[in-house]
Amino acid sequence: MRDLLADQGEAPAEIAALAPTLARLTSWVAPTPTAADTARLLARLEPLLPAPSPVRQALRAQRVNRRSEPAAFLTTALAQVELVRPAFWLTSAAFTGLGLLIALFSVHINQVLVLRAVGPLLAVLALSDVLRGLRLRVLELELSCPLSPARLILARLVVALGYDLGLGILMSLALGVSAAQTPLPALVLHWLAPLLLVAGVALLLSVRLRPDLALTLTYSGWLTLLALTVGEGQAGPVSRLLTTGEVALALLGLILLTGALLRLRAQLPALLPRAGA
Amino acid sequence: MQQETDEQLMAAMQVGDRLALGRLVERHHSPLIGYLYRLTGGDRPLAEDLAQETFVRLLRGSPYQAGRPFKPWLYAIATNLARDHFKAAATRRSVAPVETPDTIDAAPGPEDLALAAEQGSEVALALRRLGPEYRAALLLRFYGDLSLLEIAATLEVPLGTVKSRLSVGCRRLRELLASPERSAPC
Repeated sequence: MRDLLADQGEAPAEIAALAPTLARLTSWVAPTPTAADTARLLARLEPLLPAPSPVRQALRAQRVNRRSEPAAFLTTALAQVELVRPAFWLTSAAFTGLGLLIALFSVHINQVLVLRAVGPLLAVLALSDVLRGLRLRVLELELSCPLSPARLILARLVVALGYDLGLGILMSLALGVSAAQTPLPALVLHWLAPLLLVAGVALLLSVRLRPDLALTLTYSGWLTLLALTVGEGQAGPVSRLLTTGEVALALLGLILLTGALLRLRAQLPALLPRAGA
Repeated sequence: MQQETDEQLMAAMQVGDRLALGRLVERHHSPLIGYLYRLTGGDRPLAEDLAQETFVRLLRGSPYQAGRPFKPWLYAIATNLARDHFKAAATRRSVAPVETPDTIDAAPGPEDLALAAEQGSEVALALRRLGPEYRAALLLRFYGDLSLLEIAATLEVPLGTVKSRLSVGCRRLRELLASPERSAPC
């Protein structure tokens, strides 16, 4: 009470004189409503609440019904499966089959080289589909949906790269069965390492460049590297680097992919289509 | 977890959030009844009715402006409702005027004194005899725990007026409590 009196500008002598009076105010105790009183009031008020729009109701229901995080992400990813264009599934499978045929039956082309070319090509096809929102200028629509765009991109990456992994493993198994001179893990690494590396670099470049340009540049760069290995032979420095450093390349690809996703998440608003762009 | 502010709850309530309504009512029902109970001179049924009507006005009255301090707005609605109630009551009974916060009589009658004794509080009686503008300021300050600025926003008067009303109200209250039967009304 003394502090309150001081706040309103009373002099110390006045505070001392008024304090007993104000202290007596506390002797008048007001009734407090019971929990039942408050519940009755709420029952009276709830029908007066404005009705939320159907969109808001759906969003609220989604929040309430949201299951655990992995299950929710799986639901999102499954929904994205429906949205991936059939051309992606077919083209990826066709290129994998073609690579497999070349690796199996061509006597002039190195099997490892084929794997190293096919793996990143699958990544390019996958990213091309994942980032189609930027290319088709529908990113604005995706930004307005309840899920975050970064979550959508991650879900699509999981779907598309998961499909690529499946195709690659099938290809490795087929090669492993028909030509058993190379162990299966090594076969897998031959295409998986460049796939991850190219995916990571291309996704990172997509933040700055048009997705199709980023994909073209990255895959062209990788093919140039492969061409160098053909020119210099197996003893050349690039060939040795690719052979001995495949695990490191795969890890680097994973790191770049993670970094690219984080950057993409932060930069998405800047990627919105602009007037005249 | 950080507690939501009244303003955030009010904004959520405006788009139909039942939980926000529940939290706001739980947070303010009891203090509001306390304020209105004292403002109406200890009339509990009336205080409860006015509290309910205050919350109804929150939902159905003029739209809440986002960012506006909630508590002064709530207490302004309650204060205005109480004032309107007493004005209407005075109009209805104009033939035989009754005691209202606007027309407190000069000295307490036997019934008032008996009521005060029954309540065990001369404070109730003294507050009833204060002018409504002083009583509202004192109640908001010393029971409602509102800041000077919040009181100014609630009563829609300048800050200096709030300080003046509090200062005069405190002194008047001291006089009334010192000698309730002799003090003149204000």
